[in-house]
Amino acid sequence: MNFYADSDYPVRDDLAAIHGSQMETLGAPGTWGTGAQRLAIATVARKAGIDAGLLEAPADMDFPVDLGLPDIALRVVERLAVSPADFDLAFYEESLRGGLSDCEFVEIVGLVARATNIDIFARGIGVPLRPLPAAMPGEPSRVRPGVAVTELAWVPTIPNPPEGGDEAVALYGPNPKPYIIRALSLVPEELRAHLELEQVQYLPLNRILEYDFQHHEGLTRAQVEVVAGRVSAINECFY
Amino acid sequence: MNIEALIRPELDSGVPGGELLLAFADAIIGTDRAALDAARTALAEGLGPAAVSGAASVAANFSKNDRIANGVGIPVDDMVMKVTEDIREQLGLNDYRSAVNTFRHSAD
Repeated sequence: MNFYADSDYPVRDDLAAIHGSQMETLGAPGTWGTGAQRLAIATVARKAGIDAGLLEAPADMDFPVDLGLPDIALRVVERLAVSPADFDLAFYEESLRGGLSDCEFVEIVGLVARATNIDIFARGIGVPLRPLPAAMPGEPSRVRPGVAVTELAWVPTIPNPPEGGDEAVALYGPNPKPYIIRALSLVPEELRAHLELEQVQYLPLNRILEYDFQHHEGLTRAQVEVVAGRVSAINECFY
Repeated sequence: MNIEALIRPELDSGVPGGELLLAFADAIIGTDRAALDAARTALAEGLGPAAVSGAASVAANFSKNDRIANGVGIPVDDMVMKVTEDIREQLGLNDYRSAVNTFRHSAD
């Protein structure tokens, strides 16, 4: 069944499918977090959005009082969920001093960004927030890319080819990619999930320079850019 | 397109249905649920029902990207900085808090 079968507005099958499958990953073991920890991150992000008035709580949603996340992780999740314009280098460094590793920090950023994305979409089309998944058992893989180095982001990233080697080619393809493509490369699993959504929700990245390419029924590319630009302006995203 | 409308949505963007899309973009990441409901209905009537999920998809996607970009402190790539100097100045983007993630490398 379509993940958004209750919507009054048509939702493309590929979009519904990717949201359904990515929702499941929020409760599955990742690279650094267990299923329970990742689900807690998605839950805290959602609760922060509800508390801030940016989301509406589903009637049957019950939030546990203690989700078992360390205080610094809670603060990172809450701030990123409701106030992305207020993130700065000092807060990142405070997060590391508070006990998060750079890899854990990147995984949290990816999870919050994806969970918020799905929740905002549901709110946008006027359906209740989708149920969060159950936490799945298993251990995180804890694999750090050997080629990740400090470039110009706060967090280490896998350089473009050729410096990034085979891992870079596998993630980015043979040609150099901008930072928004490489931002989460310290946790390749999160990078791939981010790009999966990008291809479906914005447009296929190999067609980004085709300005007359129409990916969304009812919207020209110029109309798409109006929405994209306005949202990023409100979020004060310089990128 | 009049890109200044992205900063000052009361202006005419020059894009068909632009005012509907700007209102929807503001509302979907805002706190006024009644405004969102009204913007959604107006968008569906103006551009068709499929435009609602399309616009919601794009708005949600860029909410994701903004959190990633601001969350890990990526800079704008050099090539983009070179071709956006006038636009950044016109729109006041250089004053965004996250701009420092790019400008802190300027002296390198």
